[in-house]
Amino acid sequence: MASIARSSLLRQVASASRVSMATRPALQQSVLARAATFHTTSKRELLPPLPQRIKGTVNDAVPVPEPSPAQGSYHWTFDRLVAAGLVPLTVAPFAAGSLNPTLDAILCAGILIHSHSGFQQIIIDYVPKYRTPTARKLFMWGLNAATVVVGLALYEFETTDVGLTEAIKRIWTA
Amino acid sequence: MIAQRAGTTVLRRVAGKPNTFFSANVAKFGLAQPLSTTQLRPVATQKITADEAAALLAKQRLNRPVSPHLAIYDKQQTWFGSSAWTRITGASLSGTLYLFATAYLAAPMLGWHLESASIAAAFGALPVAVKGGIKFLAAWPFAFHTFNGVKHLLYDMTIGFHRKQIVKQSWYLWGASLVTGMFLAFFL
Repeated sequence: MASIARSSLLRQVASASRVSMATRPALQQSVLARAATFHTTSKRELLPPLPQRIKGTVNDAVPVPEPSPAQGSYHWTFDRLVAAGLVPLTVAPFAAGSLNPTLDAILCAGILIHSHSGFQQIIIDYVPKYRTPTARKLFMWGLNAATVVVGLALYEFETTDVGLTEAIKRIWTA
Repeated sequence: MIAQRAGTTVLRRVAGKPNTFFSANVAKFGLAQPLSTTQLRPVATQKITADEAAALLAKQRLNRPVSPHLAIYDKQQTWFGSSAWTRITGASLSGTLYLFATAYLAAPMLGWHLESASIAAAFGALPVAVKGGIKFLAAWPFAFHTFNGVKHLLYDMTIGFHRKQIVKQSWYLWGASLVTGMFLAFFL
């Protein structure tokens, strides 16, 4: 009912403005026409805004997320430690030229944790929890599933095949 | 002339030369109403629930104009910035790993051969230029990601985090990663 009343109001306003437009002086009309062509470039929406969500009334402040050191500070430190540890781990097998299954396994685990953490950061940055809660949950659980699958695949590759560093070496010098 | 607007024009005329007798007796002589400055605009309102109001506001917020950012700001920092490309190279390397790992697990069911031996054989059969090209496509992101990863770890320890240094380092690292990528691809 309210929408019908609103649309009729809009129609009244539109017809009123149309009538007054015809009676406006010519100078004003040409100014309006020139204002419409002010933009020299077409509007390009790079990264348009995500769906907006309002919790409670419009006068309530946006809820601030609970701080948690496990999700924040410790996670960050763990991230940096893994990344720093990966630097010698990646170079060593290829520089030394020798194969060691244990080293290979540690390298694979390090790469897996580093990739998982990196993808988590991408999801956290581009899929905000407050505005798109279901999409965020979907992506996070999808990432967890994918990481488990990749972990299994790396284990298979290490045991039934030659291992990551040896495979890269063979393909590179093929 | 609308009756309500007549009051404002009259007020403007008398404002230039205020008359004390007039202003003291305006109420007594009942002259206040025609001199009123409040405008009467007939408008219809509707009652909607709080949820409807919030939904309307959320929908209206999407019509707000977005300030241009990536299209107009310093492209050296936005499109060629090292953090952005560290993320892009890292995501492409990990993405390739994730895709290959999934395909490797699914291969026996689909009849593909993705063991290291078959891949090495197929790769070896390609022409030298194509081999070099593919190796470069794998080596450059790896070199870039490693160098910039180390750079970000140093930034986290507040080493080298000054504006002029950052701009120079960024270009040095682009060059270093390209050179290293070419060395790894064509000379190893």
